[in-house]
Parts: sequence; C-alpha cells; structure tokens
Amino acid sequence: MDHSPMNWGRPRNDAVDLYGTYPIPQRPYNGSKGSFSAGVQHTQQPIVTGTSVLAIKYKDGIMMAADNLASYGSLARFKDVQRLQAVGDYTVIGASGDMSDFQYIQTVLDELMVDEFTAADGHSLGPAEIHEYLSQIMYARRSKMNPLWNSLLVGGFKDGKRFLAYVDLLGTTYSASTLATGYGSYIAQPLLRKAVEGYEDVLTEEEALKIIEDSMKVLYYRDARSLNKYQVAKITAAGTSISESRSAETIWSFAEDIRGYGAQTQ
Amino acid sequence: MPDMVPMSVAQPQERQFNPYSDNGGTILAVAGANFSVIAGDTRQSEGYSIQTRYAPKVFRLTDKAVLAVNGFAADGNMFVKKVKQRLEWYRHAHSKDMPLRAVARLIQSMLYARRFFPYYVYNILGGIEEDGSGAVYSFDPVGSYEREACRAAGAASSLVQPFLDNQIYFKNQTPAPGTSHPAHLALTDVLALVIDSFTSATERHIEVGDGLEMYVVLAKGSPLQGLELVQGVQEMSTTTDGERVFIVRRNLKRD
Amino acid sequence: MSIMEYNGGSVIAMVGKDCVAIASDLRLGNQALGISSNFQKIFPVTDRIYVGLPGLATDVTTLRERFRYRVNMYTIKEEREIEPETFAHLVSSTLYEHRFGPYFIEPVMAGLSKTPSGGLKPFIAATDLIGCLNFAKDFVVAGTASSKLYGVAEGLWEPGLEPEDLFETISQTILNAVDRDAYSGWGCIVHVITKDKVVSRTLKGRMD
Repeated sequence: MDHSPMNWGRPRNDAVDLYGTYPIPQRPYNGSKGSFSAGVQHTQQPIVTGTSVLAIKYKDGIMMAADNLASYGSLARFKDVQRLQAVGDYTVIGASGDMSDFQYIQTVLDELMVDEFTAADGHSLGPAEIHEYLSQIMYARRSKMNPLWNSLLVGGFKDGKRFLAYVDLLGTTYSASTLATGYGSYIAQPLLRKAVEGYEDVLTEEEALKIIEDSMKVLYYRDARSLNKYQVAKITAAGTSISESRSAETIWSFAEDIRGYGAQTQ
Repeated sequence: MPDMVPMSVAQPQERQFNPYSDNGGTILAVAGANFSVIAGDTRQSEGYSIQTRYAPKVFRLTDKAVLAVNGFAADGNMFVKKVKQRLEWYRHAHSKDMPLRAVARLIQSMLYARRFFPYYVYNILGGIEEDGSGAVYSFDPVGSYEREACRAAGAASSLVQPFLDNQIYFKNQTPAPGTSHPAHLALTDVLALVIDSFTSATERHIEVGDGLEMYVVLAKGSPLQGLELVQGVQEMSTTTDGERVFIVRRNLKRD
Repeated sequence: MSIMEYNGGSVIAMVGKDCVAIASDLRLGNQALGISSNFQKIFPVTDRIYVGLPGLATDVTTLRERFRYRVNMYTIKEEREIEPETFAHLVSSTLYEHRFGPYFIEPVMAGLSKTPSGGLKPFIAATDLIGCLNFAKDFVVAGTASSKLYGVAEGLWEPGLEPEDLFETISQTILNAVDRDAYSGWGCIVHVITKDKVVSRTLKGRMD
C-alpha cells in the first residue's frame, strides 16, 4: 500500500517501486501535464552546487569546514567560492546544494541582521534564533513547492553555550554533536562520530582541527565533486573566525599500481 | 528494419519536487484509570542514515495533555509549534488550559484544514480528561480520530500494536473461571510493557532505537502509583496541585 | 499487486526446551476475498520434521509434492530418515534452482535433529523465496503477517519454554498477529513436536 498523501485516492501505479528505500522512495509523478504548466518556473533541480559541509562540537565551541568548489554538474566551474559565512557575531552557516539559492539566503540574513541592528534594543540574534529563522524560511518555501535547494549547517557560540544544527530544503531540522551534509553524511559522519561522540567537552582546538582535516582529506579522495582547497571556521567565546583557504597533504603514488586508476595504458 | 524505434525517443524526463520525507521512529500511548503514558523513541533517520540519536517526538502541551508526533519530522515540528500556539491563545482568552477532548478536536480541525496538502504525520494525544480519567486520542494524517485505551503508530506500529492488543486489551486471552481481566492496568505494569514494546521494536526495526522518552500524566490528586520508585523520573509540570506530568528516559540499542 | 499477498497466509516456528512448535493460520484468499478457512499450509515431512509453506497457494501444492518426492528419493537412496538440517538444505537448493523464476513461497521448517550422543536437539529454519537460509535460535516467521509476528514473538518468547508453555506462547503470538493482518487468520493450527509425540491443536480465531 502506498501511504503517501500525495497519492491518496489515485490509481495504483505498478511501474514504480514504492518500497525502494534509497534515498527517498520513488513515487509516481502526479503533477500537471498541461502545456502551460511551465508558466511558473520553480527550482526543479540545483544547478551550480557545493558539496559536503562538516561540523563538530569541541571543548571551546564549534568547528566547521567546507571546500571552495562550486560545480556545474561534473564540471568544476568555480574554484574560489566561499561556502562558510559568518552571520552576526556568534554564528557561522555552511551551505551545500545550490549556490545561487545560498547567495539569496545570505542576502536575506544580511537584511535580517541589519534590521535587528537598527532596532538597537540591546538584543542580538544568536545561532539558535538564526537557525529557527532559516528553518522557517526553508519550510515555507518547500510548502510553496518552490524550495531553496540547500542543506545548511548552523554553528554558533553564545552565552557560554555551543550550538550546532542542520536544516535542509524540506525544512527538516536536527541537532547533534557531529553533523555533515551531502556525501559527507555517508563518508565523513561515521569518522566524525567515532572521534567526537563522548569527547565533546575534552577535545582541544588542535584535536578538533586534526579530525576535520582528516575527514576533509577522505572526502577529497572519495567525493568526485570535491576540491582540495577548503576553509575551516571556528566559533568560540572569542567570536567567529573563518580561515584562509588551505589544502590537505595527499598521496597519489599508489594510483600507478592500480590498473585503470593511474596512467598505464595497458 | 523499418519498424525500429530510435532509443532517443524516450519519455520526457519530468521530475517534480517531493515535499515529503519519512524520518522513521515509533510512538505509543496507553491510558490507565487515572493516568496516561505517552512514549516515543528519539532516533531520527532518513533512508539508511541516522540523522541524530536525539530528536524528541513527544511534547508536553499543557499539564494535562502530551502530544506524540511521528512521520515527516519537519511537518511534525511545525504542527506541534502551531498546536502550542493555539493552546497559548486559548489560555490568554480563557485563563485556563484547554480540556483534553477540546485539544483533540482542535488537532482534528488543524489536520483537516490541510486535507489537500496534508501534514504527513501520525499524531497520538495522551492526557487526563476533565472527569479525571486517563485518555488516548489517535489521529490519521488528515484528522480522523478516535479515543482509545492504547495505540502505536509509526515505523514499527505493525510490530507493536498486536503485542499491545494482547497485553493491554487481553485479546485472545480467556480469564480463569470465576475471574475477569482487570479493566485498567497499574502504572508500573504499563511502563514495563512500554519498555518491552520498544526494546522489541528496536531489535527488529532499523528505524527504531537510540533513546526512549516516556511521559506520564497523572490525574489531579492522584498518588504517584510507584512512579517515585522509577529511576531517573523527572517532573515536568508547572504546579503540583493539578494534573502532573513526568518524564522517564531510557537508553535503547544504537545499532 | 504483490504475488506474495495474492492468497495470504502466515507461518511461525519457535524453539522450546527439548521441543519445537510450528503454527500457521488456515485462511486461503483471493486477495481480499476469503475462499477457505481450512487451507493446510503445514505438512509433515518425517515423524520429527514439519514444513510450513506460506505464499502463493498453487505453489504450496507444487512444492509440497516436490519436497515429498525429493525426501522419498533421499530415504530410498540413503536408507535412513532425513535430518532437519539436511532437509533445510534440500529446501534451499530446490528453491535456488528457480533463482530467476521462483516459487512464491517462503518455507518455514521445524524439527528435532539427532545429536552424536543419541539425543534430540530442537531445530528451526526459514528461507526466502529463492532459498536463502536463516537458522535462528529463537523463532522464525514468514507470510503476510510476518512483521506482526516478529513484534509479538519478540515480546512474548523466552528461552527454555516447556512444551505446554511453548504451545501457549506460539498460539498467543500467531492469534494476535493474524488478527491485525487482513490477509491471514480464519483459525490457526499449532504443532508441538517433542521427542515422543507431536501434539496438533486447531485454534478457533476471529472470523472477520
């Protein structure tokens, strides 16, 4: 039986596998088939995309990383894009998914911060408020069937408390001591959990950086849409800081020995 | 071969944005004579990935009403937010908490209002009725609802519900001659059954696990009924002279 | 429409102390329409082995005959009764022969096997429709009510049940599971196999 409300009352369609579990069960297409259905253009797919963002909690706050690549399909189109952005004094957001949608989100948040600053009421938005605001925008847009095609991480430190949470194009939110988007959630998240869970309050900045660097390296080795040029942000009691671009030391000599991987012709 | 159709004449590949997802997990509620237990696991997942090991699915609405939501997490959180807002408005207008049966009808109206773009969420509302009896209301995503003594919903509902039929309703059990089944179970017995239900579901369902949160709502003036002996119990209510809400947390297997 | 749910039906087997039990419902349906409330799905293989065949009814008949033939051939050639472990592999290989056009049956087996010291050891197993074996230590389930059977069995079963307690456990499990399944029910049958006898009881169940 297909329990999706999108398909209630509709005839059964045996052509699709409703029980496929990865990544989201496939569903029959019930949208408009009329000639004018393209009259209003909604984002149907991401175009210029950023890959994984990683973030962990550590003793002093939050550390987050994302590479500098914005891909156009399989083309490495823009190789100096910043996907980590400070919002106010206590928060950094990291974006994967559609980069134009991310830039729109940045302008919305900039406006918000200016409005809040102008109020001069002695209040300032912290990471929890920014995450809530973002999730409301993302959920509202998905409800209009016109999503902002991103997965975002929000990291922050305010009033002595760390904050780390996720929000995506569906408006789904969650919080954990390690978070990763995109391929990072398959490749890096297990590494991060093993290194961080249970040690959130003892990991030093150096140890946290080592964990992040190792994970970014593994992602560069295995994610074909990644770049060995990334930035690391940290958010602590001292405020936010986003590093200059850096790269991980990688070794490719092994490729020579693998048929089909290196330069051999035979 | 004149009848050959070129491969390139495939159907136009039109894709539509799917605004729903399934975030797994299971919820469950049982009503007693003068108490109600509302429970849910704390795992949130999508496909084969665990997003977080702690995302609550059970929420205290008032001192006499607790709501469990399960299905698409974004819809669930938004729905709880809106129910809480409506209950606050009610408090401002009437200077009291909304009665449980009115909360149930409110939830049905709010769900049915979205009949043609539903909240993809199964709701179970538990608490204490105005007459002091424990109550459970269960809902489908578009607002059909019913008062019951027990209900399981979510990913492992098909595993848990028949177990509850047997152990709470005593289905397929015949009492010994001259005796009868108890109309209501004791609070400690219900808590034990809830824990067993979730350990069983965790064992056989991949989307259930990590943690268990059990809310207990006690009727006004009710004794603690052994709740004081339960380890790690925490009171969540605002006063101790009305209905009281407690929470009990347990670990579940994380694999 | 899933072919595995065309006729409906469920089977479960459980291990006890020096005994095993196997139970099934008695329904035969044509999708939602009930046809028979006395459809046999569990068959004796030897005095100490029973096999349950939930799935497509036409394949129940075919497979029962196939297993009977192959077990008879085994008995004649080997001049001894087949052991449950051997029978499980016979079932598995019979199904895997049809890997790409399978019988739509998920067999469940229960029996007592001989130990080297001359004693008897409880044995249960189940396979999927292409013969992937599952040797469980506690219980195995199959059929349209399988998820319900898993839930109830996981809650009720415990190790070391005596024959009468095992009967009660498996009976409560299947009755309550099939009552929540539209495609199973209409009465049940339970077989408890011990070293010196097999006790078979037909249970009355809900007829809705």
